[in-house]
Amino acid sequence: MLTAILEQSSLFLQQLVNGITLGSIYALIAVGYTMVYGVIQLINFAHGEIYMLGAFLSFSLLSGFFGFGLPFGLAVLLSVLVCALAGVLLDVVAYRPLRRAPRLAALITAIGMSIFLQNLALLIWGAQIKSFPQNAIPSFLSEPALLLGDVVISWLQVVILLTVIFLMLVLQLIVHYTRIGRAMRAIAQDKTAASLMGVNVDRVVSYTFALGSGLGGVAGILVGLYYNAVYPTMGYFAGIKAFAAAVLGGIGSIPGAILGGGILGLAEVFGGGYISSSYSNGIAYAVMILVILVKPTGLFGRHLRDKA
Amino acid sequence: MHLDDRLFSDKRFYLPLLAAVLVLPWLPMGICGPYVLRVATLTLVYMVLALGLNVVPGFTGLLDLGYVGFFGLGAYTAGLLTVHYQWSLWLVLPLAALNGALWGVLRGAPTLRLSDDYFAIVTFGFSELIILVIRNEHWLTRGPMGVPGIARPDFFGKVLDQPWQAFYLILFFLFLVLWVVVRIRSSRLGRAWFAIREDEIAAECVGVNVASYKIIAFALSAAIGALAGAFYARWFRFIHPDMFKFWESILILCLIVFGGMGSISGALLGALILVPLTEVLRIILPAELSNARYLLFGLLIVCMMRWRPAGLLPVQKE
Repeated sequence: MLTAILEQSSLFLQQLVNGITLGSIYALIAVGYTMVYGVIQLINFAHGEIYMLGAFLSFSLLSGFFGFGLPFGLAVLLSVLVCALAGVLLDVVAYRPLRRAPRLAALITAIGMSIFLQNLALLIWGAQIKSFPQNAIPSFLSEPALLLGDVVISWLQVVILLTVIFLMLVLQLIVHYTRIGRAMRAIAQDKTAASLMGVNVDRVVSYTFALGSGLGGVAGILVGLYYNAVYPTMGYFAGIKAFAAAVLGGIGSIPGAILGGGILGLAEVFGGGYISSSYSNGIAYAVMILVILVKPTGLFGRHLRDKA
Repeated sequence: MHLDDRLFSDKRFYLPLLAAVLVLPWLPMGICGPYVLRVATLTLVYMVLALGLNVVPGFTGLLDLGYVGFFGLGAYTAGLLTVHYQWSLWLVLPLAALNGALWGVLRGAPTLRLSDDYFAIVTFGFSELIILVIRNEHWLTRGPMGVPGIARPDFFGKVLDQPWQAFYLILFFLFLVLWVVVRIRSSRLGRAWFAIREDEIAAECVGVNVASYKIIAFALSAAIGALAGAFYARWFRFIHPDMFKFWESILILCLIVFGGMGSISGALLGALILVPLTEVLRIILPAELSNARYLLFGLLIVCMMRWRPAGLLPVQKE
């Protein structure tokens, strides 16, 4: 009896740890959706592909896919920078020409870019699941950091959680205490008024894309390490779940995205563990639909202007 | 006068159209045999799908990202009814269309007050849920094993086992759907939809019952999608959850974006060009990379939105 309870509770704790890890990664991706939506009211469907790009770039730089290998830290840094740049490029090439077009046009373009990038990755890297070369990543990551009975917390999980917390704090500082952050918030409130006050809207939007995409790239690297699997469609499901998290938290709200990510990660792990694993993807869809139908502003969202 | 309006009203259009349609399938038969006929039949299936999808984003201006859900729903409704009860196509098909319409209404009713992108997200999530249920409810759908051995279409007790018979069957359904869509488009209903598309609030102010007109659009669109699915199941004789992935929704959307959203002739032209192109790419690309053909569709969507947002055969504004 007692052992059964212990077993149950350790299973519960392990699920909790896994759920928090997963949730923090979703939060990292969700922030990218929510920031872009806040500034230009566009669901950037291609954001999941930026995340996939982060995973593929770091894999390629570590495994010598491009013909040369880099040390771990340098590879991660370079991948994140390229992701940030890719985000800016995505905006400049695909979205900026449509700023004055109907919203539907930009939304369809975003879907088109998502499909384009995903299949570009398929052409470059192939459909097979890639895994990181074990000798290229720091070996301590795969060791357990903490053992509580049967519950294992790996160093990788600790690193993921600390990275996410650190990045979120930095992001909060940027958004609330820098010039560019103030400009972002001003544009989110009223784009026209902000530009009349001398805010360079295009430049701020580029910064927003760079920040969001950089964070997405970090998330891609972390997930690539966590599951040790990198493949072209990985951005699709992660993107949907992170988007659901952003909607749950209230799209446009950064704290909302973080909370939404956490809730969704936990819901997925516990739903998968206790209800049915085959429907674990369905939880994200169901949450997304229910929130939109019942409370479209989410947990922290401000009210959206209709037909803006 | 725009091509759409002439499709069924201009008498000069009837003869060339009829001739083309009757002669076309026979031309390839002599040169390339059944493969080309198969692609031609598939093209017609996608023409029906494009016409059906066109009703919601094209006529009412709401982006539907989950159309393949209704295609899959129709295919599984027809496939399972056929496998279990051996019913005739002419009973199964209307039932599948009805089931599609039912779910179209069930999906549509709660989304009435949603604006553009939220509507798109709900349609996407809904269709993913449909496919997830199809994949996981083994007792009903056999899940990832698919449903094999679905009976061929029949006609007054006679089994249509020749490929060209299936071609003419879907051609018949295409014309049926085309007729319905063209007629509705120029009716009071169609004008109400266009009013909603241009400005929902203004439409409501002049007395258009936005809610019920939207519901009708959802039901019609879903019924057409399910009808195409039902034919597809009886024609292809095997259905599998993987046939109804999100990419299919995007492919169908691409057809109408390419041809021109809201344009009926555009939807037909989009399918006529892009579906055979997909099949050619499927052959050219190695099997492992065959999905990379979607790259082209992604690029096509982006370029169309950038340089020709109204499509190849744009609807003329009055």
